[in-house]
Amino acid sequence: MKTRIKELRARYDLTQEDLARKVGVRRETIVFLEKGKYNPSLKLAYDVAKTLQTTIEEVFIFDD
Amino acid sequence: MKEKLTILLGIGITTIVVCTFAYYIINDEGIDLFDLISIPLLIVMILFSSYIIYDKLTNIKAGLPSKDERLKNAAYKAGYYGFIAAIWSAVGVNLGYNLIFDKELRGGLVVAAVVLISGFVFAISYLYFSRKGN
Repeated sequence: MKTRIKELRARYDLTQEDLARKVGVRRETIVFLEKGKYNPSLKLAYDVAKTLQTTIEEVFIFDD
Repeated sequence: MKEKLTILLGIGITTIVVCTFAYYIINDEGIDLFDLISIPLLIVMILFSSYIIYDKLTNIKAGLPSKDERLKNAAYKAGYYGFIAAIWSAVGVNLGYNLIFDKELRGGLVVAAVVLISGFVFAISYLYFSRKGN
């Protein structure tokens, strides 16, 4: 799984900690999400997408 | 409030364990094989609980949650491994002791071994899963 979190975060000038605070998770979780090392729950994916003002499929890219 | 209570409870329990451990070390006349195995396991668990308390406090200070869905999943997985370790150690400790020393372990020591081994496995698995990602 690839993500565009880092790119979208930069667009809104958000740090990992800012995003973590807005979404309600720990900073390490955002780090793992950005690296594609953690598959989030639908709720977390939705919250991240909503915070970054986009859709889930724009943030998370699944390889077939 | 609930998080603060959990942290206070964690600090209290860790302090009681450290005091009991110190009292045991000061008053014990000799160290046998069981102590040699159990003391390092206990030290690992004390360090683990201290790390968890420190980690929770630093996250709360930064305005972040002390636990999120990733850590909850890590705790569930680690709990499963701890449970499996408890079952196998309940059988294996007595069997192993019997095979090596040709003696039966006292019931209290078997219970202590089960608690220590399952706690140790839980601590190690939790740290591993919380640092692994998925």
